[in-house]
Amino acid sequence: MFCTHCGARIPDVANFCVGCGAQVNRGAATVSASPAPPAPPADSAPVPPPPVRSDPALANPPVRPASPPGAVTKCAWCNAAIEGALSNCPRCGATLNLPQAAGASGWAQLPARKDMAKLQFGDSFCQIEGLYVPVADLNLAAGDSVYFSHHVLLWKDSHIQIEPMSLKGAWTRMFAGMPLIMTQVRGPGHVAFSKDLPGELIPIPIQPGESVDVREHLFLAATGHVAYDWFQSGVWFETRTDKDERETHYPVGQFMDRFSTGNQPGLLLLHAGGNVFTRHLRPHETILVKPTAMIFKDPTVQMHLHFEHPNMRFMGWGNWSNRYLWLRVTGPGRVGIQSVFERIEGETRNISRFSNATEQRW
Amino acid sequence: MNEKSALSCHACGAPLDIRNLVSESGWREAPRIRDMTEIQFGSSTCQVEGEVVPVAEIKLGSGDAIFFEHHVMLWKEETVPLTVMQLSGGFKRLFAGMPFIISVATGPGRIAFSRDATGELVVLPLHPGMELDVREHAFLLSSHHISYSFVRIKGLTNILFGGQGMYMDRFVTSGSPGLLILHGYGNVFERRLGPGETIMVEPGAFLYKDSSVTMDVEFQKLGGGLFGGAGMSLARMTGPGRVGIQSMYVHHKTE
Repeated sequence: MFCTHCGARIPDVANFCVGCGAQVNRGAATVSASPAPPAPPADSAPVPPPPVRSDPALANPPVRPASPPGAVTKCAWCNAAIEGALSNCPRCGATLNLPQAAGASGWAQLPARKDMAKLQFGDSFCQIEGLYVPVADLNLAAGDSVYFSHHVLLWKDSHIQIEPMSLKGAWTRMFAGMPLIMTQVRGPGHVAFSKDLPGELIPIPIQPGESVDVREHLFLAATGHVAYDWFQSGVWFETRTDKDERETHYPVGQFMDRFSTGNQPGLLLLHAGGNVFTRHLRPHETILVKPTAMIFKDPTVQMHLHFEHPNMRFMGWGNWSNRYLWLRVTGPGRVGIQSVFERIEGETRNISRFSNATEQRW
Repeated sequence: MNEKSALSCHACGAPLDIRNLVSESGWREAPRIRDMTEIQFGSSTCQVEGEVVPVAEIKLGSGDAIFFEHHVMLWKEETVPLTVMQLSGGFKRLFAGMPFIISVATGPGRIAFSRDATGELVVLPLHPGMELDVREHAFLLSSHHISYSFVRIKGLTNILFGGQGMYMDRFVTSGSPGLLILHGYGNVFERRLGPGETIMVEPGAFLYKDSSVTMDVEFQKLGGGLFGGAGMSLARMTGPGRVGIQSMYVHHKTE
């Protein structure tokens, strides 16, 4: 595909020209990048899971040679169709010539990303540096901007000015423990972000008209075209002590962040603890996950509490120290989890009230 | 000078068969030292073991010694004697939360060190006449040829908002070279600033710098109005010299 503005050759998947930075105007015949993330059709047969690798020799699978020019590769992460002999997805930075590590259960690992992998947004670039606690190093072009929570800023060029970004509902955010102030910087210049936990950096390219829901405090930065909003998670339970002291707990946080795009694509950067796994749920397909392990989900994915406990008589809701508290998520859509998660506060206490929940006794 | 067939540098352990990883913004990633790499200093060797929380295992030659903060010691052979380094300003160190005692291990024998979090070992061979300032508690061990002192961080703003206490460790080599090993949380990056060149760094991410680099913490108020807003502080590092940062930083409360 060629840029209609400067004539430079650009990958079909690119949202912006690598030569001049102009937004790519795709004609019907040239569209090859499918929106991410797609949900399998409702009537599709279950896809047989790939075999689990058990041979130690396959623990480090051989790198496939880059695709020959003209061949189309599908990015395992953002689902973009990549044309040509690229080794990294220009939209999300994922390595293209590695087989995707997916378990038999359907959870897929976040695709490997080479150290110093580079991705583009607008006229700007993001380089992901380091493997233990990766850094997102952004080279912002003039006119481009990113916003972030100020405690994730690692370093910046001296001349870049940090500006506060106004947010609605300051009182509510303050009482919910969410950051009261979002900060933003504008290009040109370099700025870098990281968080204080070993884990993975998750670039999520958001195509026009799409949204992603993210659990609070996992957001690293987003480009200026991505709109930020937040909503009540609706997942809570109340505990009561013998002295009738009540406390409300929010296992996925009282609020969730929602990031959306209008008519322009954007890039969202998250940081999760440990390793990251994603799964596409079909319509009405459900899975139980640890509430504090959830990172993000498509807005189409529904969630509610689920209690699981032994089938014993003479027991009230609050008496089970061996009760399990889950988050039951229902498709269609994508859900992402992290392997490092916190203990759920109040899980083993006497639960007196709770939001919409299902129950299973065994 | 390393032999042509060598796979890693004998002085710092960096792999020789892969190129430096340098970001477009000019930060060089600390070389990822291969598991079980050996580094030589004096008549002693250091073997780097593990990759997630690496261990520095030292085989001390006879007459060689190293010094360290005692809480980073992982194991040692019974025969290795430990002594205490005489330090000036003991009370100052005590009140500043710095280790009151620096221990010294003397060869021959084996002793090993590690810290309490995921990160990287930064092996810094110091040539004669070098001065390096290191964030307190970040140094793992140093060979006895390096002289150790501490410098007070100047300026009330630097102390209050710098997130690294009142003092920095200073390591100086005079007549002979030495080996300094740090542990950085997360990934470690280094950048060389030209004279007068500046960069703004999260103070909690600062790991080390050449003493020629100046550090001034600047406080910025963000927002205001009914909620009072929040503030953040950033350290302005001005060259010439090297600056090292860690990506999993010690974040100090700014709100």
